[in-house]
Amino acid sequence: MLTRKDRQRFERLTLPHLAAAYNLALWLVRNPAEAEDIVQTTYLRAFEAFHRFSGNSAAAWIMTIIRNTAFTHLSKNKRSDNLVSFDDVLHQHAKPLKNSFELTPEETFTRHATKVQVEESMNRLSTEYREVLFLRDIEGYSYKEISDITQIPKGTVMSRLSRAREQLQHFMQAQQAKDKRREL
Amino acid sequence: MNCDELKTQLESYLDGELTLSDKRDVEEHLNDCTGCTQAFDALRFVQTQVRESDYKKVPASLKLNIQNQLRDVTGEQTRRAGWFTWLGVGGGGMAAGALATWAIMSFVLFSPLHNQFADSIIESHISALMVDHATDVKTSDSHTVKPWFNGRVDFSPPVKDLHAEGFELLGGRLDYLQGKTVSALVYKRRAHIINAFVFKSEDATSLTTPTLMQRHGYNLVYWSKDGLEFWLVSDLNKKEISQLAQLFIKT
Repeated sequence: MLTRKDRQRFERLTLPHLAAAYNLALWLVRNPAEAEDIVQTTYLRAFEAFHRFSGNSAAAWIMTIIRNTAFTHLSKNKRSDNLVSFDDVLHQHAKPLKNSFELTPEETFTRHATKVQVEESMNRLSTEYREVLFLRDIEGYSYKEISDITQIPKGTVMSRLSRAREQLQHFMQAQQAKDKRREL
Repeated sequence: MNCDELKTQLESYLDGELTLSDKRDVEEHLNDCTGCTQAFDALRFVQTQVRESDYKKVPASLKLNIQNQLRDVTGEQTRRAGWFTWLGVGGGGMAAGALATWAIMSFVLFSPLHNQFADSIIESHISALMVDHATDVKTSDSHTVKPWFNGRVDFSPPVKDLHAEGFELLGGRLDYLQGKTVSALVYKRRAHIINAFVFKSEDATSLTTPTLMQRHGYNLVYWSKDGLEFWLVSDLNKKEISQLAQLFIKT
């Protein structure tokens, strides 16, 4: 039976991470109402399982439940477009994207990517790619921590992150080129 | 370190995951190699873009909902915040679809008093359906339902004809809720019955802003207006029950 004291301790540990939790959910499902739902479910589940909390990192614990809840939600709603990881697909069947080593100077950024361009490009990434980008570049988790949160091997975290950036770069270039053509 | 070796390390270098000696090797190479430096800059640019993307503000209602949810688990008194302004369901919100609308309405506030009252509302709703006694006066004509209440209750519930909006009026009945006589208007949307309980508001400071509440699988919306308190209850989805609430308030 959970008591008032448990609740207070739980809130002290987890509520500081509410913004991170909400933003991760938002990055994954890209819908504010659904993200709110996921966060609420997460906090309730976490509280009910509070006695199992190891006491290590409350933030990472919350993040784990958020991402699991979000992925379950996405698969339940058959948002399969988000669920297919491009990790294998891209590198086995398709021509790999150019990485930054193969770019001609014209292809590199004009360094003026707008917020909209970035956001639109990010929206085109698969959920798994957005996930690692968020955990690494926004939240600053290490490869090892991301591996713990997502329950995928560290090597996969690294390659996913690398491909996510590669693809993002590619999408941003495409977006810029498109916008430029529209201007002309 | 040559360029090929650097490629395998560059990302880890960017992420600060290299050992000190590996880091030094990478930096030495970057100092001498324009090509790799360019590649690194491009990579760092992508990272900067991600880092600079906005951290969205957490809706104020979310934290409160969570706190109340936790108090529900421990059986403590729930917190009541200032009532949120209802932004309205119609207009632009509709185009964004059910979920966007849901967001506007999902100010789930639980106070023990309201929880208790909500339970009796739900009970009444269920029992009316079970004994097939949803209506005392069975008619879709709002002009028949309204006078029917005259003399039966000491207030005049607004009876709306919302047929055009997709809510069919089935009739009305009297009900008893926590010791008081209330009027119940019964509407139907597809296969869903909606009970609209209307009664005199005793609380002068009662809320005027509609609030959505979810309890035991039912959706409820409550608000007060002109000295009357309104409670809608149904297994209808949040979006449509909210829509009905808005029709009640508007017309």
